Formats: sequence, structure tokens, C-alpha cells
Amino acid sequence: MGTDDRQVLPALRLLPYDRLVLVAARAAFASAGFRRLAAIEPSVEKVPVDAMDVLACLEAIRHAIRQASRDGPVRLSVGGGSKILSSAAILAAFQEGVETWFCDPEPIRLPVLHGVRIVEAFAPEEAILGRLVRGPMTLERLVLSATRRGLSRHVASRAVRSLVEKGLLDVTIVGGSAVVRPTATLGVLRPHLRDARKA
Amino acid sequence: MTVLFGTLGWRPQSLIPSIRGTEGLDRVVVYHSDHAKSREARSRVLEFCRSLGVTASGIELSDAFDLLQCASQIRADVRKEKDAGSSVRFNIAGGTRLMSCAALLVCILEGVPATYVHDDTYQEIPLPLLRIAYGEGLTRKQREVLAFLVKNADRDFTETALAKSLGVHKATMNHHLRELEAKGAIERRPDPTDARQLFVKPAPGMDLLLG
Repeated sequence: MGTDDRQVLPALRLLPYDRLVLVAARAAFASAGFRRLAAIEPSVEKVPVDAMDVLACLEAIRHAIRQASRDGPVRLSVGGGSKILSSAAILAAFQEGVETWFCDPEPIRLPVLHGVRIVEAFAPEEAILGRLVRGPMTLERLVLSATRRGLSRHVASRAVRSLVEKGLLDVTIVGGSAVVRPTATLGVLRPHLRDARKA
Repeated sequence: MTVLFGTLGWRPQSLIPSIRGTEGLDRVVVYHSDHAKSREARSRVLEFCRSLGVTASGIELSDAFDLLQCASQIRADVRKEKDAGSSVRFNIAGGTRLMSCAALLVCILEGVPATYVHDDTYQEIPLPLLRIAYGEGLTRKQREVLAFLVKNADRDFTETALAKSLGVHKATMNHHLRELEAKGAIERRPDPTDARQLFVKPAPGMDLLLG
């Protein structure tokens, strides 16, 4: 939600809920729009975010979804707030696999597959490899490190190829040796790799 | 060939860091609304591209406030480039919220790398997206069943009728449908004339998933 409660009200009318969790910029919680909303729904839970930072918003929303998922199914409305907040909410919805609607004001359901979380895109060996690459390193050293963790050379090499295809690793040839580098995406998705180990 | 797509509002600055930062850039495609300031921003971006010797084109979205229409148009263009073997990336920072969200949706569904440009620092921020099509969260068979249901959304199918139409055993169809239902991709609705019968329907939005 931004400062305009009219972006949230259509979702409240159309999507049934037991608990309402509102993600918004800190300033929005002091707005007249939020006060009107809190008068309608006094038990609303607040999640303040830095609405200029897309990655911080993403992490805050993912965390809120996970917390709420412990009590039952989660339904997300992503139509309110700034462009950054909406984008972060869409990303979080697809990463966490929760039912998602864009109400502006007509409700449009986004094609998120329930329960299909981003961790499922990683095989266990990919998670191991992804965690091993913290900076540039030769492919040979990476594969050797992977074999020390119980992977065969073949499986480790296949996992590297798969991570390159997914945009998480870059491989370049430097002085005749293949050098593996983590991409910025891998940096952001590292927490998911930890989850893949648990899954 | 490397193609950069971008949504554009009133500020060319939201796109220029991506044009500068894309190695081996061959072409830029800019989506904008019919607002005069947006058209002006497009002209400035095209001029900037010309100065770099990069081909650029502007596409005016017929309705920059219609999420589904924007997404369909952008997706068709992105697919065309991908099918032609181009390397595609997307800057979703500019334009209306709907344009930006539509572009992000396309990037997620098609597995296209996307970036955002910070409003104050103009720093380009890569979004954490995987380069795999989101539809791969379904098996090939599940996608086939869902595609059939989406294509025939105006018709009513029971589980048995669906099995017959797709030439698979009832038990196999039941398995696929249970998986699809668990993922929220289909719904079962009672026949208004016979409550014991359930019709299988694609969930809203699943046409977007398949494209």
C-alpha cells in the first residue's frame, strides 16, 4: 500500500481473509489513508519497508509471507503502493508460490503456481556448488571442492553448467583456465540455496 | 544479437544506465505510453542510442493501464527475439506501474534477466530471476492438460470426458489433475444441473502462464 487506501480497499472486498498484513513504506503508516484503513480493520498487522529499495522490499515481503504461511494459506494482493513495492511483491509471490492478485481495481489473478517455491528450481548438488562459489575461482578448484563434499566430478560439472544456464554463474577463460564467477543474482539467491539444503 | 527491452515513463535516465551497461548491445526496444512526456522521453532515448550507433525502436502501448494487454504484447515481442536466437534482457524501471509489473511478469514467465534502476542513484540493480521459463514448474503432461483446458475454456469437461479427449487412462488423468489442482492451476466446479458432477476448469490467469 502507498498513501492511498483506495488501492487496498478493492482487495479487501474481493479477497476473503482471516488476518490482514499490510506492507508499506514507513511514511504510509502515518497517512490518512492508513488511518481510514485501520478504522475498518483494527487488527491490521504492519510491515514497514524502505519503498525505494526493491531488494529490501522483496526480503521483507518474503519474510512476511513465510511468517503468515505458518498459520494457513496466504493470498497476496500486489496492486497497491509504489512501483518498486508492487514489483517486489510480484517477485516474492513467484519465489514463495502463493496465490496472487492484482486489483487495480478489477481483480486479475497472476499465474503463480501454489507451493512451487524457487528452492525447487535447485537440485541438491546445485545448492552445494552455489554455496561454494563466493568469488572468482577456477573451475578445476570448484569441482575439486565439490568432490570433497561427496559429489562426483561428472555431477559437479553438470551442476556448474546448470547454474550457468540459470544465470547464477559466469564462466570465462583466463590464461587458458576456466574461471567461475558468481553473478549478482546468485548473491541475492544465496538464502534460497540454504533452504534447498533443508528441503 | 543482444536486445535490451525497457519500459519508459517520463525520465530517460531510468533506461540509459542499462543501455550504457549492456555489453555488445545491438538493439533497444522501448515501451512507452501515449503521454506527450513519455513520447518525448522515447525521442531522447532513441537519440542517445543513435549517438552510440545502436539501433532502437519505440513501441507505444495502446493501453498502458491494462496489465494483461501490456503483458501479452511485451511477451509476444520477447518471444520473437528469443526464438530468433537473440540474447534478451529487460529494464523494468520506467513507465506506469502496470507497464513495469507487466514487464516483470513477462521476465518471470520467460526467464529473462531483468534490472531495475534506482530512482536517485541511477544504479542498475539486477533482479533475482532465474533464466528458466516459469512454466517448467509443471511437467510436460501437466502443461498439455492445462493447455487443452485453456484452449477449450468455454467448454465443460468432467474428469472422464477430459481423459477421453486427451486419450489417456482415467487414473492417469486423475493423477495429473490432482497435481494441477494442488498447484492452483485448475479448479473443479459443480455442474449447475447435477451437483454430483464436477467440471474441470483452468484457474484464472493460467492462459498467461502458458502464453
